[in-house]
Amino acid sequence: MSREFPALALVVLLASCSAEKAPLVASDVDIRKPVPGMNMSAGYLALTNNTSRPVVITHVDSTQFGSVELHESVLEDGVSRMRPLGELTIPPRQTVRFEPGGKHLMLMRPAIGADTVTLDFYSGDTVVLTVNASLQD
Amino acid sequence: MKPRNAFIALVALIAIAMGTWTSYRLMTPPPAPQTATVFPAATALPEFSLLDQYGNPVGREVFEGQWDLVFFGYTHCPDICPLTMQTLASARRRLAESGQDPLPRIVFVSVDPERDTPDLMRQYVDYFGDGNLGITGEPDEIRKLAGGLGIYYEKTAVVDDTYTVDHSAIVIVVNPRGEFHALFGAPHEVANFVHDLPIIMVQKQ
Repeated sequence: MSREFPALALVVLLASCSAEKAPLVASDVDIRKPVPGMNMSAGYLALTNNTSRPVVITHVDSTQFGSVELHESVLEDGVSRMRPLGELTIPPRQTVRFEPGGKHLMLMRPAIGADTVTLDFYSGDTVVLTVNASLQD
Repeated sequence: MKPRNAFIALVALIAIAMGTWTSYRLMTPPPAPQTATVFPAATALPEFSLLDQYGNPVGREVFEGQWDLVFFGYTHCPDICPLTMQTLASARRRLAESGQDPLPRIVFVSVDPERDTPDLMRQYVDYFGDGNLGITGEPDEIRKLAGGLGIYYEKTAVVDDTYTVDHSAIVIVVNPRGEFHALFGAPHEVANFVHDLPIIMVQKQ
């Protein structure tokens, strides 16, 4: 019995971890303050889908910015191009990274004096993730 | 060993050491840039008539007298342009910390002059450090400067009344004679500028 108990406890612990794991998790969140005088900035983060189904992000809303769009910078033949992404699909058990020079959130029309931001990630009409972060210089 | 023989051996050793050092110096090429493209013959910049970030008129003579790192972008660009300006500012800071003299100036030329007023340009270039130069002005004059440096740019509609600007992402090195001397291709890394610029800036000017 004394040998079985730790094993049983481990199984229970793993099950509990699994049950508590959020379906969509944000990490490495870096939302930039706009350059003084500008009305837009960029946001970077990693989105991890912990489920066995794809998660589709259709749009992002924030009370501190007039609009938030999913964009991607691409470098083609030495020319930098920025394009809206439209929807973003995060495959099952995978992470999609938003990084400088690649996918990014384009945050436009900031509220005056905002130092923090709340971002709601939507899949259709449903908020699938809310991220709160301080704005970084 | 007799003192005379010891002396001859010492002289021979010194001669061998000096010969080895001299041949090493002759056979070792001078350090070369690793990522920058340096042109065999620098070319003069085109004539243009634009404005700096204070609204003062500037022509190609504004590029004379110092080394310049020139990047073409626009202030409504949230990702690549601040990223590149931060990279250039970081490289300049690291060069300063290592005692590099001269230090290059950072120049930001707008490819979106309709939106980029001198006042916006001032706030923008000042954010990335002191001593930076911002250039904007009439679209036709921007076109002259960009065209002379092989810079491509074009407006692209995104949604309704908003647009982005596709643009060449190279960084141009202008020498103190105001000539197109070298370029760095994108993507840009701080380490590349820190390694190559001291080599470029001591080359024959």
